[in-house]
Amino acid sequence: MTSNAVIQMKNVGKSFGTFQALKGINLEVAKGERIVVCGPSGSGKSTMIRCINRLEKHDEGKIIIDGKELTDQVDDINAVRREVGMVFQSFNLFPHMTILKNLMLAQRLVRKTSKAEARDTAMQLLERVKIPEQADKYPIQLSGGQQQRVAIARTLCMKPKIILFDEPTSALDPEMINEVLEVMTDLARYGMTMICVTHEMGFARSVADRVIFMDAGEIVEEAEPKAFFSNPKNDRTKKFLSQILSH
Amino acid sequence: MDILVGWWDDYFWGSVVVAQVFVCSLILMIIFGLIGAAAKLSDNFIAQKLANGYTIVFRGTPEILVILLLYFGSAIALTSIAQIFNPDIKFLDVPPFWAGTIAIALIVGSYATETFRGAFLGVNPGSIEAARALGMSNLQTFIYVRVPEMWRLALPAFGNHMLSLVKDTALISIIGLNETLFVAKQAIGTTGEPFIMYIVVGLIYLGFSTIITLSVMGLERFGQRHLVSSQ
Amino acid sequence: MSFDFTLIIDAVPKILLGIGLTFQLLVVSAVLGLVLAIGIMLMRISGKWYLSWPAQIYIYIFRGTPILVQIFIVYYGFPQLEFIRESFIWPLFRDPFGCAIVALTLNTGAYVSEILRGGVMGVDRGILEAGTALGLSVRQRFIHLTSPIAIRLALPAYGNDVISLLKSTALASTITLADMTGIARTIVAQTFAPYEIFISLAIIYMILTWILQKSLGRVERHLGRYMQK
Ligand SMILES: Nc1ncnc2c1ncn2[C@@H]1O[C@H](COP(=O)(O)OP(=O)(O)O)[C@@H](O)[C@H]1O
Ligand SMILES: [Mg+2]
Repeated sequence: MTSNAVIQMKNVGKSFGTFQALKGINLEVAKGERIVVCGPSGSGKSTMIRCINRLEKHDEGKIIIDGKELTDQVDDINAVRREVGMVFQSFNLFPHMTILKNLMLAQRLVRKTSKAEARDTAMQLLERVKIPEQADKYPIQLSGGQQQRVAIARTLCMKPKIILFDEPTSALDPEMINEVLEVMTDLARYGMTMICVTHEMGFARSVADRVIFMDAGEIVEEAEPKAFFSNPKNDRTKKFLSQILSH
Repeated sequence: MDILVGWWDDYFWGSVVVAQVFVCSLILMIIFGLIGAAAKLSDNFIAQKLANGYTIVFRGTPEILVILLLYFGSAIALTSIAQIFNPDIKFLDVPPFWAGTIAIALIVGSYATETFRGAFLGVNPGSIEAARALGMSNLQTFIYVRVPEMWRLALPAFGNHMLSLVKDTALISIIGLNETLFVAKQAIGTTGEPFIMYIVVGLIYLGFSTIITLSVMGLERFGQRHLVSSQ
Repeated sequence: MSFDFTLIIDAVPKILLGIGLTFQLLVVSAVLGLVLAIGIMLMRISGKWYLSWPAQIYIYIFRGTPILVQIFIVYYGFPQLEFIRESFIWPLFRDPFGCAIVALTLNTGAYVSEILRGGVMGVDRGILEAGTALGLSVRQRFIHLTSPIAIRLALPAYGNDVISLLKSTALASTITLADMTGIARTIVAQTFAPYEIFISLAIIYMILTWILQKSLGRVERHLGRYMQK
């Protein structure tokens, strides 16, 4: 289809033992596109985005990231992972390093940046997520919302072309959700390619170019946010939306 | 293996002694451990201090020293008591079996106080309250809720204590207990074959350790059957 | 029965002459044991059966048998074996100090490898995944993420093992070494005053244990700065 697709998934399948977690996934994401993925728990959302940076290996179909197909070649994988950032539900900051060190580690080891440059980049990004004053603290000393913002900054330090978010606000207290969504919205405004698993429908409405609904390992419905929320076609989508919007 | 001919029965009786020491020291260890844990959990300041002292002393003193002290120490004590009644007595021997058994039970018991204390505190207060709410008496709650739960929590560490007891039995050979290591020394005296004789001792103790490890694994599975989902 | 204090004043300085040997046994076998333990642990978690099985068998044997038996096999048993007598390591086994070091090292290595493995297993998988997602290689993740976190997690249990090792060094006295316990046993054999001598010795060991505990506690607190809110 489009030649400027940075992510192409063709007929991707993935099984855990006999259980098929992903079935025939077809997805193309263009440069700068913002995708929101939703669906009931266990529907395969995490598995799908984890296949994109090969935290899980798909066992059917093809995944092509920025022109490189994901195979078992270790060098290729690391090259791809450099370009694909990921933000986790549980932040996963390195607990034994200060915030600044968290942001510098991969730059130094993977990008081979000089110490001074790594520090500069780190401080700039901490400014961007609005917590430069926490640079010398340890992760445990920060609130959940602050930790997730650090995690986003840590990913941005690698200057990725794509960022994957796996329910970045699900582990947060309600009053901290917005500060993280603001950072994400800001990223979207600057043209970052994003795939975001989330149930924050307000965020989906205002930021997403496309919303994808998954159920039982399949992409059931795919539409622009307006159409998706006002006129869902599939019954499973309707049921899911009525549940999630009713509370 | 020809060298071993004639020594098998000695090793067998040595193993019986190991088993006897194990059973006796296990019982004593549980008693010492429970008393110590109760003291640590009590409101009594002196009892707490004594129990903490008990742990500190035996954690910091080499096992062999405890055994030697108990053996020679109690022999002297016993002798001087006996001399009060009969000044002609020169020296009263204490059986190494009991001196050693009590010594290793005291040592391992000092660790067990912490295990039992931790297990007692680890019981989910919610299940106790639930049992009360269901109208169970104090005693019923203790027997049907607290003890089984404590048992499950204490079992892994308790298994290690049992292994320590068995292995510490070898130390009692130093004061002359005729367990397998002692048998080996005698056998070496006549055959001059230390390597094979000590390897046999190692294998016997390995056998005891294996039996204990497997039993604990079995008990753990039994204790956790309610945690297995019904899928 | 009375407690003879002049005896203690006489004996304690003599016992303390053995503290150097006790320390040597402790430090040398602790260091060698740690190196061995790291190797065994890496074999155990390698995921390759031909590495992990030998590691598991080693651990099983050395944790399942009394240390005293291990010492006797090394000291009395090994010199009987021709291939050891003819090899370059023979001087090690001819000397009781070498034998004590070998036995203590092999013994503590087995326990410590399991302690280290516990630490490695305790490292949160999510943290390693974050490293993976950032492009860190397996090696980089092990050096910069797994190791420092695992060391901190393993430290309390490791401290207990060092204290056990200190107590085990007392068994070197059974193969003629004049460590503190060896000296004390000689004095008791001469004076037949087990109370005075052995209790003094026990107190010395308790003080050493206390010092070890305090220092390990400091290291723990230092390495655990990141765990305090
Ligand atoms: N490592 C795994 N091993 C086995 N099953 C897994 C594993 N990861 C995920 N699954 C299963 O795959 C399905 C999809 O999981 P996931 O992608 O995490 O769902 P979602 O993120 O949509 O909640 C679930 O049924 C889950 O139990
Ligand atoms: Mg998920």
